[in-house]
Amino acid sequence: MSRVNKTPSLNCSSQQVVDWSRRLCCIFTNNTCVNVPRVKDDEMDEYHNEGSFNTEEADSIVKECIENVVGGDDYNQNLVNKWTSAIVERCLTQLVKLGKQYKFIVTCALMQKTGAGLHTANSCYWDTAMDVSSTVRWESRTMYCVVSVFAVAVA
Amino acid sequence: MEGSDSYLIRPNYQHKFKPAVVKECIRETVKARLSEVQYDPDEVSELTRTLADSVKNKVKKLGFDRYKFVVQVTIGEQRGQGVKMSSRCLWDADTDNYAEDVFMNFVLCGGRVWKLFLLSSREYECGGG
Repeated sequence: MSRVNKTPSLNCSSQQVVDWSRRLCCIFTNNTCVNVPRVKDDEMDEYHNEGSFNTEEADSIVKECIENVVGGDDYNQNLVNKWTSAIVERCLTQLVKLGKQYKFIVTCALMQKTGAGLHTANSCYWDTAMDVSSTVRWESRTMYCVVSVFAVAVA
Repeated sequence: MEGSDSYLIRPNYQHKFKPAVVKECIRETVKARLSEVQYDPDEVSELTRTLADSVKNKVKKLGFDRYKFVVQVTIGEQRGQGVKMSSRCLWDADTDNYAEDVFMNFVLCGGRVWKLFLLSSREYECGGG
């Protein structure tokens, strides 16, 4: 008797798979419809918090990076390019060292103090449970520095 | 599982993020909002927020499924000061990208460096919970 070795491939969506598995559960429990027990929200949070992102930690990392790069300096147009790149790169490497499963976006704005106003706003379309953002404002006598960090979950 | 759409971890070429299209979208939105506007310290913070939201909503309608967006809008007053903005990202260079545009006005430097970072989301892989 010849055996069919190849399993037939089935085109289906993941939602259909979930539906079918639920129906199979019903069949195996004597045809009564059982709600598939869902993990409670706080239990899920405990599971997720092991890898979730701590904004306070990120804030302290960012503040330290800014201080190290432009701590005691006055605004200098020739150096500002280097400063912003250095701040951003340093922040990114420190954040990566935390070892979390996140993609990062770090932006930095350095502005000279002349009395002008600066406003920044962010709008994000993402998973509000897992993804976070944080903004750090820092100032010295001659300039303002605003650094935003966005952490987007991968898994 | 050949031919199963629900287990995609990379977008198809057609569904990949197109920076040029998004840049045009941003440009139109901002031009419409900021063309005749003067810098008013009381109103500008609200203006920045609503601008970020409207850009985000417009980009959502462009139909990039399976992507998350981050939109950033910066508005500053033109007073002859120096400003420098930079950013770095840790992402998957194959699927993720950004688009930005700058708008300048006589008094209002809608230095709107708005960055749209799209990252592919893997929620479908989780099999519906």
